[in-house]
Amino acid sequence: MTPSQIPPDLRGRRARDPFWVAASALFNGIQRVRSLRTPVLPPVTPVDRTLTTVVREVRQEAEDVVGLRLAAPDGRALPAWQPGCHLDVRLPSGRRRQYSLCGDPADRRTYRIAVRRLPHGAGGSLEAHALAEGDLLTVSEPRNAFPFLPRDRYLFLAGGIGITPLLPMVQAARRLGADWRLVYTGRTRASLPFLDELPADRVEIRTDDDHGVPDCAELLTRAPAADAAIYCCGPAPMIDGVRAAFAPHGPATLHFERFAPAPVVDGRPFEIELRRRGVTLRVPADRTALDVLTEYDPAVAHSCRQGFCGTCRVGLLAGDADRRHPGDTDPDSLLVCVSRASGGRLVLDM
Amino acid sequence: MTIPPTEPGNIVLQARDVRFDWSEVPLHWIPGDPVATHLINVLHLLLPAGEEWFVRVFKEAVPHIRDDRLREDVLGFIGQEAVHASSHDQVLDHFLAQGLDVRPFVRQVEFLFEGLLGDRNLTGTRGQAWLYERISLIAAIEHFTGVLGDWILNATALDEAGAHPTMLDLLRWHGAEEVEHRHVAHDLFMHLDGSYPARLRAMAETITALTALWRRGHRFLMAADPIVQGRIKGGLHHVRRTGAAGLTPGGRMVAASIGRYLRRSYSPLNEGSTSQALAYLASSPAARAALR
Repeated sequence: MTPSQIPPDLRGRRARDPFWVAASALFNGIQRVRSLRTPVLPPVTPVDRTLTTVVREVRQEAEDVVGLRLAAPDGRALPAWQPGCHLDVRLPSGRRRQYSLCGDPADRRTYRIAVRRLPHGAGGSLEAHALAEGDLLTVSEPRNAFPFLPRDRYLFLAGGIGITPLLPMVQAARRLGADWRLVYTGRTRASLPFLDELPADRVEIRTDDDHGVPDCAELLTRAPAADAAIYCCGPAPMIDGVRAAFAPHGPATLHFERFAPAPVVDGRPFEIELRRRGVTLRVPADRTALDVLTEYDPAVAHSCRQGFCGTCRVGLLAGDADRRHPGDTDPDSLLVCVSRASGGRLVLDM
Repeated sequence: MTIPPTEPGNIVLQARDVRFDWSEVPLHWIPGDPVATHLINVLHLLLPAGEEWFVRVFKEAVPHIRDDRLREDVLGFIGQEAVHASSHDQVLDHFLAQGLDVRPFVRQVEFLFEGLLGDRNLTGTRGQAWLYERISLIAAIEHFTGVLGDWILNATALDEAGAHPTMLDLLRWHGAEEVEHRHVAHDLFMHLDGSYPARLRAMAETITALTALWRRGHRFLMAADPIVQGRIKGGLHHVRRTGAAGLTPGGRMVAASIGRYLRRSYSPLNEGSTSQALAYLASSPAARAALR
């Protein structure tokens, strides 16, 4: 029996439950009457969420770190934001990078972001460092993947440029009258931006050249109380270390920004053939099939990008799969956000 | 609409990889109150099939969206709903293991979502109209999930009654994510269609269906419960007691929320509190187990 047939009643006495016979007749009847008229659908109005901004100020905030102030070209108010928000910045080359807002949310005329120069990165930071006052920059509306919640006690843990989302949080905690501490780690003092904006009495500066590489368990002991909210932002090894050292059953809560999913490990390049669309795409060793698919068509359904939600599952018509999530066991489908080909080509039903 | 300064906005929706251990949860997880337990348990019967249907419909809607931010919200919503569906499905397995065979009712719920509300093989404008129709229903249902989510986050009477912490965590984690994404289905409907009569029709159909399903589901559970053995007859009249005791939502609270939904100026953001939902999610044992 398929789910589209009227089901038996709840006591197994009748093959078709009279309740559902009546409900189907009623609902299908309504649909039939309404279908006598050809539906008229309103056109969908496209919504443009991008903002054109102009670089109003470029300031060297530390060794290798520039702060950029962005404003609307006509100086009008920008969309409001809250601590933890970031901007999706479209760089002149078309690259997209996300940068945390690190200014004052009460300043509705300018956004401030800060960028560390990564000479061996993918090139986005070098481009951001080449921006000059007066340049135009397209950005998204602010989005928040690191929301700041009102609490009585906080511990902020910043690693280098990870100070950017925490800076507005520190100011908000001060305004709330909360009990807070900030531990600010980095290579050297000269590499740490915004030291001049932090009150010295509640801030501990901990640089590798003076104190050695920090121990994450020890950083957590700096919390003002056992029930503090811990907000952590820094390089991936620091966040992983804090997560591992954090006691999950205690009264404290841990907050960190969930950036892009973990990088592809031991990936090999392969091809995906989209059978129904008649297209073949190449997936490089360091990217996932989903990355390539969403670049080709942003409407490809996906969500968690880590394998657990199952949204991106597509039919697998041919090819040897290298399955990379315990939930990806069905031989006729594939979770394209994590799983790959063990070599060659995968033929997908899409 | 004004948001208080401490209320976070512009939230990026992300699915959370939660873990629950059902082995210790008793059948009557509100101790000594099978009536209230099963009034809430009806949710477990409706949600897996219902939320899988949300996911299918919304996946179909994604290519029609002409707003990058709404597309992101819808994709986040889909992931959260998919995890909700699979988590409630585990509860159904646990019911079965305890001798409560819910399969006949689940079969009927599947008929509703996969048969009556399923794919009707329509194409072109008619196919799109059927898609919008189902989105209007999801927007109306999501009004209730948001209101129920807000209710469960504040339902201290359940803690006082000794309700099992694992079940409370499932309901509150789910409720908190419903509050967190409460605007998405309404935003999607307003973006694609936005017709006020369609909203009214969807709400009327949703109220009718939910009332009938809740009544039938409760009567079914009370009759199928291996401990109660049909000695207490189920039905919505029990809500007069359980609602007043704070063990289930009350009729008045739900009716008032429907009144707000029917206004043209309705905004889901005025129902419930994002910061309360996020605070719960930061401390939820199941969501924290997934942090590791």
